Amino acid sequence: MRQIQVPKPYLPRRRFLQLSGISSLGLILGGCGVSLFDDVVQKATEPLNESVETLLFNPQKPVPEFPASAIEPDALLVNTFDFTPDLDPAKFRLTVDGEVNRPMSLSLAEVERMPLTSMTIRHVCVEGWAAIVQWGGVRLRDIVALAQPKVNVRYVYFKSADGYYESWDLASALHPQTLLAYQKNGQPLPIENGAPLRLASPIKLGYKQSKWITQITLLSQKPPSLGYWEDRGYEWFAGL
Amino acid sequence: MVRDVPAQKSKSPPKPNQAIAAKIFHWINLISLILMIGSGLQIYNANPVFGGRGGWHFPSIFLLGGWLAGGRHWHFAAMWLFALNLLGYGIYIFISRRWKHRFVSSNDLKALQKSQNVKRKTYAWHRLAFTAIIPVLLLAILTGLGMYKPAQLHWIVDLFGSWQALRVVHFISVPVFITFAVIHSLLGLKVGGSRLIKSIFF
Repeated sequence: MRQIQVPKPYLPRRRFLQLSGISSLGLILGGCGVSLFDDVVQKATEPLNESVETLLFNPQKPVPEFPASAIEPDALLVNTFDFTPDLDPAKFRLTVDGEVNRPMSLSLAEVERMPLTSMTIRHVCVEGWAAIVQWGGVRLRDIVALAQPKVNVRYVYFKSADGYYESWDLASALHPQTLLAYQKNGQPLPIENGAPLRLASPIKLGYKQSKWITQITLLSQKPPSLGYWEDRGYEWFAGL
Repeated sequence: MVRDVPAQKSKSPPKPNQAIAAKIFHWINLISLILMIGSGLQIYNANPVFGGRGGWHFPSIFLLGGWLAGGRHWHFAAMWLFALNLLGYGIYIFISRRWKHRFVSSNDLKALQKSQNVKRKTYAWHRLAFTAIIPVLLLAILTGLGMYKPAQLHWIVDLFGSWQALRVVHFISVPVFITFAVIHSLLGLKVGGSRLIKSIFF
């Protein structure tokens, strides 16, 4: 009769150390999937990146536009952080306040009586996709000028009807292609795209371009809450 | 009379020796590219280049940053390390005049076509691969800049025709670089054995 030999579990020291090394590597790499100090990296490099972005940004130079034939109507995806507010255009008021000499409350009709600017630009989302869109609306700089901001104003804060909030540097807000848009691709702005008024601009990522804007506040200091996504870790400047 | 005694005494060829600067550039390049690829794939997953949101996503083991914002922070931190290292390397090979004999030459191309010497051919292939990766890395930076600042540097996007083309070219640098790393290592091993491989790291 043949004896059955059961091999002893065999794990020499060297092999054990190798295995523990490999498995701890797994821990580190697994950590990569989680986040691996993304907040530390952000604190360490965002100020540098922001100053380079500001340096690259030319606040007066318009970004070249596209012909109407280049519009990609299906490429613009709808991203919303919560719900889609349905505002009554007849009752809608846009508040402009903060450090200004003339705080205002404008009706939609008053906004639409201001000079209309149309632009066909590339809308770039932080997720990586982009869409060529035509936006029509009033230049934000015209609204800001009406409110007569004080000389120390440096930031603009936007409040939306869905609870979304954003803040911009003044230079980007006053760029000639930063619009409060109420038209998209030649049509009235659809509700899911931010009607009655939304920000549209070729110089900032999509999450900076608030929809359903109800209040614009001019500030001399950065607001404590920079923006919905910024407060969760996204970059604040987000310039293109 | 030629005496060949010294050759007999030292049996092994001289130990390959790399300049300390070359070792540093190589290390930083390798580490920064691992960070760039990990964080780049994290960004990729937010909206896959191929297929959009419905497209295939990379498994989390290859990702760095944890989510889109974290991936972007890592990507835009490591880009400095990667780009400045490559710039430093460029200045170094220019000033030290290494550019004259580090990269593929017409002699290598002749050897690839005509030489019967297998070792000479492998060496020529290695220099060809080593040279070819430089424009790939520069192209990755150019396409990356185009996506980072498509408004201020709109001419880069125009150069590639469309946003999607720009994304594809930027992404393709990942498989190209990984393929290069494998070929580069194998050819290095073939040319100089593990002694050569060790010499660039330690």
